[in-house]
Amino acid sequence: MRRREEMRGWLLASPYLLFSLIFFVVPFAWAAVLVFTRWDLISPQRHWVGLANFAEALASPRVQAAFWTPFKFMAIFLPTVLVAAIAIALLVNSLGRWSGLAAVGFFMPYLASGVAMALVVQGILSYNSPVSDVFFRLFGDVPDWLGVPALAITVIALMIAWKFSGYYALIFLAGLQSIPRELYEAAAIDGAGQWTSFWRITLPQLYPALYSVMILAVGLMFGIFTEPYMLTGGGPDLATHTWYLEIYYQAFSALRAGYASAVAVLNAVAVFLVLTVVRRLMEWWGRATGWV
Amino acid sequence: MGVRRARALRAVGKAILLIVGLAVSIFPYAYMVLQSLAPWSEVNRSIVPTQLTVRSYDWLLHGSAIALARPWLRAFGNSALVTSASTLLMLASALVVGYALSRLRWRGRDVVNQVILFQMFYPAIILLVPTFLVVRQLGMYDTYWGMIVPKAVNLWAIFMYVSFFKSIPQEVLEAARIDGAGELRIISRIVLPMSIPITAVVGLFLFMERWSELLWDLIVVKEYRMMTLNVLIATMSGPYATYPGPLYAASTLLTLPIVLVFVAASRYFTRGIQLVFK
Repeated sequence: MRRREEMRGWLLASPYLLFSLIFFVVPFAWAAVLVFTRWDLISPQRHWVGLANFAEALASPRVQAAFWTPFKFMAIFLPTVLVAAIAIALLVNSLGRWSGLAAVGFFMPYLASGVAMALVVQGILSYNSPVSDVFFRLFGDVPDWLGVPALAITVIALMIAWKFSGYYALIFLAGLQSIPRELYEAAAIDGAGQWTSFWRITLPQLYPALYSVMILAVGLMFGIFTEPYMLTGGGPDLATHTWYLEIYYQAFSALRAGYASAVAVLNAVAVFLVLTVVRRLMEWWGRATGWV
Repeated sequence: MGVRRARALRAVGKAILLIVGLAVSIFPYAYMVLQSLAPWSEVNRSIVPTQLTVRSYDWLLHGSAIALARPWLRAFGNSALVTSASTLLMLASALVVGYALSRLRWRGRDVVNQVILFQMFYPAIILLVPTFLVVRQLGMYDTYWGMIVPKAVNLWAIFMYVSFFKSIPQEVLEAARIDGAGELRIISRIVLPMSIPITAVVGLFLFMERWSELLWDLIVVKEYRMMTLNVLIATMSGPYATYPGPLYAASTLLTLPIVLVFVAASRYFTRGIQLVFK
């Protein structure tokens, strides 16, 4: 009986075990070798180059640009998406009967393919568009939206914020719905207004949701590919060049399998370090405000 | 009177916020559909076209003397095939594996659960190039297999099912076992019907992500006739830039299935989403 149950367990888990062997263990081992080699994905010759790939990547202006891009995106993306998501969550939560329907509406942007939305953004910002018309009338000129570094970064960061606001709002909404009512009742008895109870009860109680969203949102900024690929190709002047664009370009255009894998390892290290800092900051801030 | 007025003001303010917020959420979709139906002289020049025409869609299907026809319809079929095969495989494997990892007693179980957690947090980007090499080695380059097989098992889906199945009472399963039902029968007849809401929401997320995938499908496919619609639009947006109308039409076709699947799943959405965002 025990043996049969043992067998059953392994058997039912076998799809995962087999998949992991082929698409995790083997690539994992292969990557560990690749990063120390120079290879063009085609020829039988592979050169062992030791740490040269890493040395070259660290000195490369393209990789350095990719390192800074997530922080530039964050400066616009984080404030926008946090304010929008919390506002949406509060609004949806206060609707009562219609909250389900409203949540579905605000979630819609998350469904869009980045490719389709990139076309729409390109169209709206194109030279003859109604938006350009407004700028012509007001200032007599149109900003070069995707040709100026600061503007290109803003456009892409806002696109991603549009997509994720409703999605993060659902996480905040789950947080809002778990706040005990007694807290608000007690505050009302103490004569607290809406504003006070928002700052003293709602926000501190949303801290766990805020923590999760921060980790998700910061991590997201290191994995951007579709939007710059479609809109700017990483330009102007590498201003929107991202880690994934660099890895894609090096592996599949420049055919440098080893170098691209080394850049991917650096990307992983950067994400790990930044997320560790974000975690520490969030914990420190939570203690400082007394929210944890 | 003052209290009443304040309340009315707040209700009006809320309504305005709601309308503006939903308008911002929906606007790009509306813009895309309107531009796909606009006469070519008006595309991107006005938000609402003066007249509607299906010329862009017609052009997508038949091309013209000026530009090469691309297999748009076939690309749509490719997307549908790859996405539905992937999504079904991911759901089926997650259901069976999740059941084994939560409701069966076996020695390797806890280790496997730990390994899955490790894999979930392992940076997948490091595996991108070697996974491509594995797929090429297996002869799956430029085939449907190359788009389906590497995306046939999803760790997040397994994880979701493991945490959900823990809430199923043991007595129900024992009763079925005493009646002589095998494990696969228990999964299909008892466990699956009990997890419809979470299956709908997890399935929705898996479908959506697979349908909109760009990076992997771009890498693993070479020929136009094998491309998914998403990849075809992406590769065409360069030389086709002079034909924005058809590109909007293609994007509308690309967006439609996701919206339909979402509407179909939205019955379970509010209930299931709480399970996902616990």
